[in-house]
Amino acid sequence: MTKAMKDMTPTPVMLDAQGVTKSYLSTDPPTPVLNGVDLRVHAGEFLVVMGASGSGKSTLLHCISGMDRPTSGTVALEGRDLTSLSDKEMSRVRLTRMGFVFQQGYFLQNLNVRDNILLPALKAAPRDTTVAIRRVDALMEQFGIAHIRDHGTTEVSGGQLQRASICRALASEPAVLFVDEPTGALNSSMSTDVMDALTHVHTGGTSVVMVTHDPVCAVRGDRVIYLRDGRLVDSLELGTWSQTHAMQRHGGLQGWLGNHGF
Amino acid sequence: MRTSSLYRRHGYNDLVRNKTANVALLVILIISAFLMATGAMVMARSFGAVNALFDQALPPHFLQMHTGTYDAVALAEFASAHPEIDSWLIEDMLGYDGAAISWQRPTTGESGDLSASLIDNLFVTQNEAFDFLVDDSGTVVQPAPGEVHVPVAYMQDFALQPGDEVTIRTGSGSHGLTVAGFVRDSQMASSLSSATRFLVSEHDFRELAISGGGDPEIIVEYRLAEASSASQFQSAYESDGALPKNGQAVTLQMIRLINAFSDGLVAMALVLVSCLLMGIALLSLRFVIRGTLEDEVREIGVMKAIGLPHRAISGLYMSKYSAMTLVACLLGGVLAVIATRLLTRNVQVNYAEAPVGLTTFLVPGAALLLVFLLVIAMCRGVFRSIRRVEVVGALVQGSTLDERQTARRARRQAHRARRVNLGSTTGGDVNRRLALLDLRADAGQWALIPLVFALTAILLILPTNLLTTFSSPRFVTYMGAPESDLRVDLQFSAAVDSQHQRLLSDMRADGRIIDVKDFAKVLRQTRGEQGWETLRVEVGDYSGASIEFVDGGPPGTGQIALSAINAQQYRLSVGEMMPIRTSSGEATNDVVVSGIYQDVTSGGRTAKMQGNVSGGALGYVLYADVAEGIDPAAIAREYNDAHPDAAVIPMREYAKQTLSYVTGAFGSAAALACLFGVGVAVLITCLFLRLRLTREQTRMGVLAAIGFSSREIASQVRLKVLLATGVGTLLGVVVAATVGEALVAAAISLTGVGVTRLHFIPNPWLVYFFYPLLLMGAAHACAIALTSRLRSADKSAWLRK
Repeated sequence: MTKAMKDMTPTPVMLDAQGVTKSYLSTDPPTPVLNGVDLRVHAGEFLVVMGASGSGKSTLLHCISGMDRPTSGTVALEGRDLTSLSDKEMSRVRLTRMGFVFQQGYFLQNLNVRDNILLPALKAAPRDTTVAIRRVDALMEQFGIAHIRDHGTTEVSGGQLQRASICRALASEPAVLFVDEPTGALNSSMSTDVMDALTHVHTGGTSVVMVTHDPVCAVRGDRVIYLRDGRLVDSLELGTWSQTHAMQRHGGLQGWLGNHGF
Repeated sequence: MRTSSLYRRHGYNDLVRNKTANVALLVILIISAFLMATGAMVMARSFGAVNALFDQALPPHFLQMHTGTYDAVALAEFASAHPEIDSWLIEDMLGYDGAAISWQRPTTGESGDLSASLIDNLFVTQNEAFDFLVDDSGTVVQPAPGEVHVPVAYMQDFALQPGDEVTIRTGSGSHGLTVAGFVRDSQMASSLSSATRFLVSEHDFRELAISGGGDPEIIVEYRLAEASSASQFQSAYESDGALPKNGQAVTLQMIRLINAFSDGLVAMALVLVSCLLMGIALLSLRFVIRGTLEDEVREIGVMKAIGLPHRAISGLYMSKYSAMTLVACLLGGVLAVIATRLLTRNVQVNYAEAPVGLTTFLVPGAALLLVFLLVIAMCRGVFRSIRRVEVVGALVQGSTLDERQTARRARRQAHRARRVNLGSTTGGDVNRRLALLDLRADAGQWALIPLVFALTAILLILPTNLLTTFSSPRFVTYMGAPESDLRVDLQFSAAVDSQHQRLLSDMRADGRIIDVKDFAKVLRQTRGEQGWETLRVEVGDYSGASIEFVDGGPPGTGQIALSAINAQQYRLSVGEMMPIRTSSGEATNDVVVSGIYQDVTSGGRTAKMQGNVSGGALGYVLYADVAEGIDPAAIAREYNDAHPDAAVIPMREYAKQTLSYVTGAFGSAAALACLFGVGVAVLITCLFLRLRLTREQTRMGVLAAIGFSSREIASQVRLKVLLATGVGTLLGVVVAATVGEALVAAAISLTGVGVTRLHFIPNPWLVYFFYPLLLMGAAHACAIALTSRLRSADKSAWLRK
């Protein structure tokens, strides 16, 4: 197949969310957070979700990752409707097809860094411990945190922890990575390290859906969508990331965000 | 706004916000206050009731039972020689076997007899000076001819009513009487007493005496100017060889002890139960308060930031806990009044209505005040940590710890994490391993559950062990008797020796009866503090008798075994010499103390010697077993008919009746302990899990995001609960069986009833299997109920906190 033909081949849809709404019923009256969001994420795509605070970015991430059930609408991963899965089936999907990276890292403090990363791999393949360990060690090496493998999670820097978080998300070789404000608690140097790591994951072929406030992070994405009051109001195609065009992409993104009053 | 109203509003809002936790805490506090007040009230009312009856009936300070002839002149001379005697009397009694007394109810045609009662039924007339038999209003009853006043215990045991007709089988036919009422007896009210008294008129007493069939006995009774001098008086009485003394001698102190023993024990058990529950309540309260402080650390930070002193912040929280404790004490007190009425119903019926006085309110009031002060002191202690909360740490980190404490905790966590290696552990479910690791790491926070379950297990086991010990057939070994199926008593009479020979030869010839052990009751003298004192000795062959000795062993030739109280009184231990002479004062022999045994009968003052008595005994006691498949009760009935002078009783029934008050009391305590213990354990497990699940939401969120299902997350919690409760219950069982047994034994030995070294006779299935299973099952049910909600929970919300 020639390069031209390859570019023309439509990329399969990895994640398909249609008419997703979410209201929190605990308030009186119920608070609508998402209001009929239609969204498609293609295999290998790096999608960035942006919007002002309270626009519903994190809620959208939770709904499309099966962490929360939408009030209405459907979410399909690789053609499988997530909203109809049982808790056990959904857990299996999260374990084997999804990875999560959170702003706070969220580690089990009673385990060391390596065991935190190893946990999903052991859970996914309990009989294949050696392979899981080998894979986790390779990931830690790759992301430059092999030297903190035996450290407690309270002994390492935020940047190292967030890279460990990425390693954990990749430990069971997911199809899609959900990332929520990965640099929100980091300084600029650490942020760059983390974004380099995520870019590396993406170039390896993993789909990434990332929520962020930070345009410096958002510029790494292939496509940026903008949420306002729970609605998807705009989308910007940035194309594949390259360091050489970084300034140009950044300028374009800033202008686009400016149009939305960001 | 006034500070007090601010405190009130804060307290109210907090109560409403954490309704479930606060209600659970309140219930635990109410139960603790309730049991503490109930224990105190039962104790006060029991002693009050006994004292009230003593005031009405004026029991003797010293009494001596006797069967057969006696020297009335010697008694009169003794009385005139002892100015410490206030008044004295000789009470004539006629003893009948229960089977000789029947009853009919003319209105319904119902009928029955008193054969089920194994104690002596003594018919007496009302005394003139003291030792009165009184009715339920405390009136000294004077029956009219044809009337009988029945012991109040029989009203309960045989459901007798006024108007029932009682017929006594006499030597020349029968004698009919009508039940005119029921009487309370200050010296024979307890089930530990071996006899009970029926009150009849002088006319009927004479009729009964003439008709024959009854065993005449007397009690010589003395009221002294100083009740406390009864022991010296007893020594003086017993050292006088001319006085009648072939029966039991009893002092007022012993009567009081026996009366207070059973109800005193239930009060003791209640106090024990309430102390344990109080400990549980304080532990839970501490857990909840610490949890509240951690949850509300940001609010505390804000209050500190705006300049509120820590005392004021503590005050905000203290107002709520003070109010809750006050409400718990008030409600617990009210409930205790109702419960005490129920628990002391037996005491009120057998003794007297305890008079309402200052102590009626002071004792439970002091108990409730103690509960209040303990809770408040504990709360203040925990709230003192508010002083250490730093504004920045509270607002930014959301932590109650200062920087140094945070660093220390992080170091500890890291150190712990470094030691764990999930990858190196082969086999085993990851979920289970995670639960175990988590439990080990958070052991400090989970400590509440094992502690509560250990205390609850003790709470359940101790009263039950006491109940099974006192109701076990093996308990007769604490009554100075060997384990056997039958006990035969032959009281003194002119023909006692011939009756004994006939009975013994019948029993030995009977193929259904095996292993007959024969002991003669004789009086000997030994040297005490007041000179030569009377010693009641059972003489016979002890080589094969299965009596349990706390020290030493059975007596051989030239040896004596002493009851624990006698050994204590004469300050003798095994191997030491004891001077013994016959009551007529013949040559003194020194015998060696071979062993010490426990005996709750005869005031705990007995002794045993090896040998044969050919005649002149005060009475005989025989023990025997029955062959396999033979009913001891049937044999007893048969021998009672064939030997009317002997009292043949099945041992199991004898022990059961003698200890019925005590076992009844322990039964109530065990039931209460079980009910409240399990209830409180369930409440605390629910409370703990509810708070724990809230605290662990982030962790659960992480696990859910990684791919653990709700069922797996729930099973981790359930496993932790099961392990924590299992460890606690096991600990409780071990403590109850070791330290618990020692503590209870020490408490019972202090009562002075003759039990110096109590060993539990537990029902192993109940205490080592059923109770642990019940506790762990209840905890597991709580865990299932609380974690079942996880399935429908919004996992993303766990990470939004």
